[in-house]
Amino acid sequence: MKKIIFILLIGSFSLVAYIVPKQMFYTVPKSWPKPKYDFSKNPLTAEKIELGRALFYDPILSIDNTISCTSCHSQFTAFTHVDHPLSHGIEGKMGTRNSPALINLAWHSLYMWDGAINHLDMQSLAPITHPDEMGSTLEGVMRKLQKSPVYRKLFYKAYGDSTITGQYTLQALSQFMLTLVSSNSKYDSVMAKKAKFTLQEENGYKLFQKNCSSCHTEPLFSDYQFKNNGLPVDPLLKDYGRMKLTKNPQDSLKFKVPTLRNIEFSYPYMHDGRFKRLSDVLTHYAMGIQHSNTLAPELQKPVVLNSVEREELIAFLKTLTDKTFLFNPKFSYPKEVLTK
Amino acid sequence: MFSVSSLFSQTVTVNPVFGNSNLQLDHWYKLKSGDSVKIETLSFYISGIELLNNGTSVWKEKNSFHLIEASQSNAIKIPSGIKYDHIKFNLGIDSITNVSGAMGGDLDPTKGMYWTWQSGYINLKLEGKSNLCATKKNEFQFHLGGYQNPFNSLQTIELSVKENQRIKIVLDMEKVFAQLNLSKQNHVMMPCKEAMIAAKNIAKLFSVQ
Ligand code: HEC
Ligand code: HEC
Repeated sequence: MKKIIFILLIGSFSLVAYIVPKQMFYTVPKSWPKPKYDFSKNPLTAEKIELGRALFYDPILSIDNTISCTSCHSQFTAFTHVDHPLSHGIEGKMGTRNSPALINLAWHSLYMWDGAINHLDMQSLAPITHPDEMGSTLEGVMRKLQKSPVYRKLFYKAYGDSTITGQYTLQALSQFMLTLVSSNSKYDSVMAKKAKFTLQEENGYKLFQKNCSSCHTEPLFSDYQFKNNGLPVDPLLKDYGRMKLTKNPQDSLKFKVPTLRNIEFSYPYMHDGRFKRLSDVLTHYAMGIQHSNTLAPELQKPVVLNSVEREELIAFLKTLTDKTFLFNPKFSYPKEVLTK
Repeated sequence: MFSVSSLFSQTVTVNPVFGNSNLQLDHWYKLKSGDSVKIETLSFYISGIELLNNGTSVWKEKNSFHLIEASQSNAIKIPSGIKYDHIKFNLGIDSITNVSGAMGGDLDPTKGMYWTWQSGYINLKLEGKSNLCATKKNEFQFHLGGYQNPFNSLQTIELSVKENQRIKIVLDMEKVFAQLNLSKQNHVMMPCKEAMIAAKNIAKLFSVQ
């Protein structure tokens, strides 16, 4: 019996030892659901996060060394594209979708607007190889990285191995992206009872809970499901969302519900960046909704708000801005590493 | 299950052949129909290798993922000293592995067997040329995969074997081309019904030599 207890004790010690270093880089905010990402398969370390950050900011990932991840995902806009409705890649080629903000990625179960990517680790393959984005191949990137003394060193520090593999590269990019957690907005302080909404924000919060939170569910402000929120199809892009993937007509015009955290800064809005301002978005929910078989049931009736209510709802949405996220030096260009 | 000392001294090899001889890449072959084909790329995954005796599993390979490339020899080790009468394996990668993130070894995405624009492993890649294909440069391309219903293309293969130091499993490409109707279908590049059917037909053409 004693022996068993002893073994159990050792067992629990090693468990603690395993969790503690992880928590230094990753704490799940209080009252948030459990992340979907399986950290046990890719445990975070300072060195791996640093490597991932360098890769994220380095145009070495594109065929002509001009485009990095941050070209389309810049920190000050919550890691979306600055000011373009559709993303731009190498040689100024235009994509067909708006780059999503990269926030709280560990909680998604599928990635991309249509869920084409099934795991965060696999996400980076898409832009690296897309002819209109970075136009490279993973094998090509490996060869370039292997030639670089800076990267051989970074990989060695991270993995104890200076042989660069696709797995290491993708996992390191995930590590950095996993750290992009935004949980420090005014909304969060209010929920933690450390701050108070203004009356206007408070009224906006009520309107939000009534009209929006079935999809933009707290605390992540998305349920990460695929829904049709009634946007008319763009006649040039002809993007039917998730149906392209599943070939199921039930999925026509369904896109992943985006988070609304930092929404004040992540314009333009929607999968094709068709709206510039939050007021345009509210106008859509009030009078732009296009009816079709797959339209979400809760949007069958338009969300009509008077001008005071619109101001209130927008005031609330702005409480989701998290300056500690947008200006966190840990998420910014790694000068120390890349300018050497 | 078996003692530590049991040696992994037996091997299984999996090789594509054309009729009676080893497959040569970039070589023009005549089909029985009189048409000709040339294979430029042939790679596929074998996974979940298991030995059975009288219908019960007697050994399962751990971490069992093997990329078989026509241009390279392979030899998968299995333990000796076990009685078995069947070998079972998958053609392709199971759905759990497909959704588990970046893997290493034969599963590393740099192996060219992973789709980039839509996640998932390519279970079998076959590329080449034939006069049967009314395509650019008479090319055909089959990237067969798909791990999700309704387009799950993973196939399980079970073959009867005699205990042997060297088990030789072959895939006869001559028979594969007799099945694939190249003049009608020569370009399958994503999870779909056609990919499932092709995978199912190809899986039937593995045999023990
Ligand atoms: C040329 C612009 C461009 C570049 C470069 C780019 N992305 Fe993206 N990114 C996009 C677009 C556009 C989407 C959405 C595409 C879609 O849904 O079809 C996207 C989607 C994503 C997503 C999914 C987010 C979600 O909510 O589902 C992640 C994560 C991501 N990119 C990370 C990266 C990383 C890492 C890199 C660098 C390796 C990178 N991106 C490079 C434009 C880009
Ligand atoms: C039925 C689910 C649903 C409801 C209810 C809903 N939305 Fe949305 N929302 C979506 C989906 C889906 C998208 C993405 C659509 C697209 O791009 O095709 C979206 C996009 C947005 C965007 C753009 C985000 C970005 O990053 O581009 C904003 C802002 C937004 N919604 C605000 C609201 C507000 C405010 C309400 C309440 C008045 C609301 N939504 C109600 C599903 C919903």
